[in-house]
Amino acid sequence: MQTEDAREAQEVKSHRRKNVATGADSTTTQSAGTTSNRKEEHSMSAEQVSVAKPAILQVVRAAENKVETRPSSTLKRWVGERVLSGWHTRLLGVVLPFLLLTAWQVSSSLHWVKPIFLPSPWSVIQTFREMLVEEGLLTDFRVSAVIVIEGFLIGAVFGLAAGVAAGLSKTVERLLGPLLNSIRQVPPLAWLPLIVLWVGIGPLAKGVMIGKAVFFPVFLNTLQGIRGVSKDYVEVARIFEYNQRLLLRKVVIPAALPSIFVGLRYGAGLAWAVVIMAEMLGGKLGLGYLLVRSQELLLTQQLFVIIVIIGGVGFSVDVVLRRMEGNLLRWKKGFEG
Amino acid sequence: MSNIPTVGLEIQGLTKTFNTERLEVVALEKVDLRIEKGQFVSIVGASGCGKTTLLRIIAGLEGDFRGNIDLEGRPVKGPSAEKGVVFQEHRLLPWLTIEENVGFGLVYRPAAERKTVVERYLRLVGLTQFAKAYPNQLSGGMAQRAAIARSLVNKPKILLLDEPLGALDAMTRMYMQNELEKIWLEEQTTMVMVTHDVEEAIYLSDVVVLMSCRPGRVKKTIPINLPRPRRRDHPDFVGIKQELLEEFQLQAKDYFTYEI
Repeated sequence: MQTEDAREAQEVKSHRRKNVATGADSTTTQSAGTTSNRKEEHSMSAEQVSVAKPAILQVVRAAENKVETRPSSTLKRWVGERVLSGWHTRLLGVVLPFLLLTAWQVSSSLHWVKPIFLPSPWSVIQTFREMLVEEGLLTDFRVSAVIVIEGFLIGAVFGLAAGVAAGLSKTVERLLGPLLNSIRQVPPLAWLPLIVLWVGIGPLAKGVMIGKAVFFPVFLNTLQGIRGVSKDYVEVARIFEYNQRLLLRKVVIPAALPSIFVGLRYGAGLAWAVVIMAEMLGGKLGLGYLLVRSQELLLTQQLFVIIVIIGGVGFSVDVVLRRMEGNLLRWKKGFEG
Repeated sequence: MSNIPTVGLEIQGLTKTFNTERLEVVALEKVDLRIEKGQFVSIVGASGCGKTTLLRIIAGLEGDFRGNIDLEGRPVKGPSAEKGVVFQEHRLLPWLTIEENVGFGLVYRPAAERKTVVERYLRLVGLTQFAKAYPNQLSGGMAQRAAIARSLVNKPKILLLDEPLGALDAMTRMYMQNELEKIWLEEQTTMVMVTHDVEEAIYLSDVVVLMSCRPGRVKKTIPINLPRPRRRDHPDFVGIKQELLEEFQLQAKDYFTYEI
């Protein structure tokens, strides 16, 4: 009997200790763990002063104030958090590219493949330097980049505006629905001949194509995001007499933001792909044009340089957008694997 | 509560029907209810009795009814900040911190004022140190406390609580009942709480309103004149609880027979 009492007291104590630990760490719960253990020591005394309350309430309060921390998976616990955390995990993504590069280097130095099909990595790097210094690669890059940014901005702004309008009003959705849905069915490249006929082959044509390509994912995801906003939150805003503008700014847009970001990221990827395709089909400038030219002149090294640039830029843009998303959507916690 | 009873909420002949495609459901029929200013009133009844509907109508979230509802002498028209609502789910906005959530109803006020009011109510519900946390970092009880704070910042004339503790475990629930009583005593707001927990209703209320089912009607109004703080094991407490549960038993006969 006595031992059981003692154990119970112990339990209450440890419960309370947990309470203090999480309580002290309230503002930085995300980094819970090691820091809270240290803080526990000096905040214990403060808690012990107020033992006047009935013990049962103390336990309840402890259970109450328990802050949920991220559950660590069994795998992580077995392997040891340290091995799989921080830059170690990030390095995991470099393994495969490194192996590929090694295989490439080996096959070209052992002359398994003719250089005209597969030039060595080193010669590709040399070519990159030459193109940069002597052939004005930057100009072509800038041409492509500017068109992409312009096209993306135009498409995103129109997509967002139309998405919000349709999301807020069923009438607008019904008005726009059929027309947009049929335009959407025609792939970007199929518009090219017509666009070229109308506005020529210059940057404007490409901008229009990109804008169109970006518009739809942004529009559809914005619309879907707004439709998915919980009525529960809208009711809360109604109780506090929010007007339409405040409701949009404080409730609807934040709630739809995850979905909007999916649209923006997808649109950005499309924009970059479309500009390369458009440049391959017409014009005398840009990375896409360089691709076609190097293939026609059998400059395989240049082909590789441009492919790596296209991949690298697309990757970087996605990383930047993902960072932004992570910052804006800090509150959202999903399954982390 | 107050020495001179003044009318807080007055409901007369409230009838509400829901029309679906095939059938017409009478959710509430000729409900009359008078709640004094500053009173704590609980509405109990089996689930599906229109308790929540009644509360939503008072809140102004549900329209299209017959009858009169007056809040301190003025008819209720739509939702407004003078009627605070606490839902069963906390409904905190996940993208706002706790302090931003508590200040959600103060957007039309200057920032400095908002700050002091939010601080005061965070202190009232004991969440000061969690001001910068996000809702998904809090436990259910803490989140509900934040929701209560949010509903109080505008000093509403009436606070409507729709099974506010329904989603909490038994221990947390008892603790929260004490918190709720403390808040009510401090704020002196008229409170109307829907619950299906008879003990909770007796523990907290000046008056318990028992509703009958299909159609929802006020079956009985029971004043609870026990001194506060109340003891759940006091003979009078147990007696009232017994009496109320027996009323429930009477209802229970046709409780499980649904007519559609």
